[in-house]
Amino acid sequence: MTVEVVIFVLMGLTALGGAITVVMARNPVYSGLGLLGTMLSLAVIYVSQLAHFVAAIQVIVYAGAVMTLFLFVIMMIGVDVAEDTAENLPRQRLVVGVLAAAVVGFAVYLGVSQGFDWVPAASGEPVAEATNGTVQAIGERLFSTWVLAFEATALLLTVAAAGAIALAYFRRRRAVRE
Amino acid sequence: MTIDYLALAPEIVIVVTLLGVLSLDLFLPRRKKFWVATLAVAGTALAAVPLIFLAVEGSTRSMFDGSFVVDSFALALKGLLLVGAYIVLLMSVSYIESDRYWQGEYYLMILSSLLGSMVMASGRDLIVLFIGLELTTGPLYLLAGWRKGDIRSNEASLKYFILGVLSTAMMLFGMSLLFGLTGVVGFDELAAVVGDHAAEPAMVLAVLFLFAGFGFKVSAVPFHFWAPDTYEGAPTPVTAYLSVNSKIAGFIAMLVVLYLALPDLADIWAPAVWALSALSMTVANLSALRQRNIVRLLAYSSIAQAGFMLVPFAAAAVADADLAEGFSATIIYIAIYALMNLGAFAVVIAGARATGSGEVDDWAGLGRYNPRLGVLAAVFFLSLAGIPPLAGWFAKFVMFRSVILTGGAGPIALAIIAAVNTVIAFYYYARVVKAVWLDPVPEGAEIPEQRAPAGSLSLALGLTTALTVIIGMFPAIATVFADASQVLTAAGG
Amino acid sequence: MTDWYMLLAAALFTIGAMGILVRRNALVMFMCVELMLNAVNLTLVSAGRALGSLDGQLATFFVLVVAAAEVVIGLAIIVAIFRHRDTASVDELSELKG
Repeated sequence: MTVEVVIFVLMGLTALGGAITVVMARNPVYSGLGLLGTMLSLAVIYVSQLAHFVAAIQVIVYAGAVMTLFLFVIMMIGVDVAEDTAENLPRQRLVVGVLAAAVVGFAVYLGVSQGFDWVPAASGEPVAEATNGTVQAIGERLFSTWVLAFEATALLLTVAAAGAIALAYFRRRRAVRE
Repeated sequence: MTIDYLALAPEIVIVVTLLGVLSLDLFLPRRKKFWVATLAVAGTALAAVPLIFLAVEGSTRSMFDGSFVVDSFALALKGLLLVGAYIVLLMSVSYIESDRYWQGEYYLMILSSLLGSMVMASGRDLIVLFIGLELTTGPLYLLAGWRKGDIRSNEASLKYFILGVLSTAMMLFGMSLLFGLTGVVGFDELAAVVGDHAAEPAMVLAVLFLFAGFGFKVSAVPFHFWAPDTYEGAPTPVTAYLSVNSKIAGFIAMLVVLYLALPDLADIWAPAVWALSALSMTVANLSALRQRNIVRLLAYSSIAQAGFMLVPFAAAAVADADLAEGFSATIIYIAIYALMNLGAFAVVIAGARATGSGEVDDWAGLGRYNPRLGVLAAVFFLSLAGIPPLAGWFAKFVMFRSVILTGGAGPIALAIIAAVNTVIAFYYYARVVKAVWLDPVPEGAEIPEQRAPAGSLSLALGLTTALTVIIGMFPAIATVFADASQVLTAAGG
Repeated sequence: MTDWYMLLAAALFTIGAMGILVRRNALVMFMCVELMLNAVNLTLVSAGRALGSLDGQLATFFVLVVAAAEVVIGLAIIVAIFRHRDTASVDELSELKG
């Protein structure tokens, strides 16, 4: 338990720091790296919560594929355009944002800290610690109850890829930048 | 585990069609792309065959541990979604052909969005519902920007996308809290236990987050600000799809979750639905009065209509009455709205070609030089306003009847707001009709040569006109949706 | 312990929501949405663990896949805009107003 607390404190702080970097950094590259930090710390937290499969795909899909794509697009469109990389953040916008965040955060805090009454294992058999979070345990449930949703996500990814090509592909002879 | 393939047959037909579209598109030269469109239209029509078979047979089939249910309510909604997509596809053929690029992918996007909404209509747990909703909206983010040479279309898709994923994140946060509190995701299981947590702040938060997420999807005030810009910038057939199929999908999500999973929390969400309905009608109608562009006018009109749709359900919820009556009145309203709004958009596409403009003022005198189109414009806009004997009056009638039968202060107040708004809405719908029939052709306007609309567009116009007029004359047809939703009442209520 | 995980998730979600309000760069706004989705995932995993249920981790899997698909879609849209405008700032997009 103590190990978990130490990991939680360390990684929780890293995650928060990363999140604040995303919002505050003027340069999108730093925002991207902040997000990467948050995702990796969350992966560590998942491991300490015994969600090994989720931790693995968090690293592979989020930190690997998604963030690479983000950084790639930033490099493609952002870095050589000076006025774009340094976004100006007017003070009043910041104040409004912080105030709004304070309100939402307070509501969420109230809800989360005071309102949780956990119902142990309301959905069938509790999972044994030994199999919890393993690929096998998740796979069995994924391919029985949720197989339809799983197939739908496969289609979603295919369609997203096909559509992204259609939308982002420009023929070279067209004037790319008027 | 056995899978009931017959129950899945309509979805399977759509999947096969969209895979066929994807592969056929690879091999066809550009001149022959109309075969892709033909395949898409034919596949959509074919999917109706197993659907009708299932509806006639009439049994309830439940699969995947009850997360996917095919009952007559799901079938009625799927039928409506299929008709909507079929008409949108017909409208698209000539429109997309004139844009010339990426036709194959266009149909792929529409079909997969249709598939997502059909899955949603059967989904009876949060995960299937969520995946269905994402499959519905994901392709639409792309489609909104399909005219990529046009900066307004780019902007439409970016706005839609950012607000769409924001709403998804809020909805998911609500769902995750709901799961955390109850430990279940199925609607039936949720309905059984949510009542025990009604007093917890976290539950209030979960419901409000869910509700805000759905509010975005149905573009109800105050979550509507993306809609007019996206509607105006997107290609017009996509706008028609957004305002009909995607809105139906959002309503399915909202109503089914509130009605099947969270009926015991009506104390929390009923005032929110009431306010959403009243605000949507009032704000959108007042904004619509100022619009000069006909697509923006229809965008605000569809936001306002979303408010009308919610009236019976909101009234039943705030009065703490039996939700079933309000629920089926809402479903009838949605079905009729779908048909007449599709017709209105078909008229906009044909009218934009006939007048060379999308501004209401430029449509002046359209009835003189193109009487056929003028009549159709009058039919759909008056139907949207709720003038008998067109279908719109029955929707309004069902709405008011349901509210008055419910009674009580909250419902009656809502009915009064709805009545005032019906009058305001009549004003701007009538303004279009007045421009078309009473105003003179503007001086010095260059009227393009009048040609009959393309065959597929004519078919779309013909179908929607026929349905609008027939349902207006024989409203009993539309009550099939009421009967279908009674099944859900028996099962869930 | 679970409450602390929940609070961390709530904090991440709030920071993400604030970012959407404050920032105007479409890429960064989109990253903020990813942040919110990560918060959702943390909620699901922690709740699933407290409940002794695997469904939380399964839901996380679905959220993750959908987020990946959305990234593909969103970045395609941003690239398409950039081809015309050389900007990813929402403020500079003002063709449609009112």
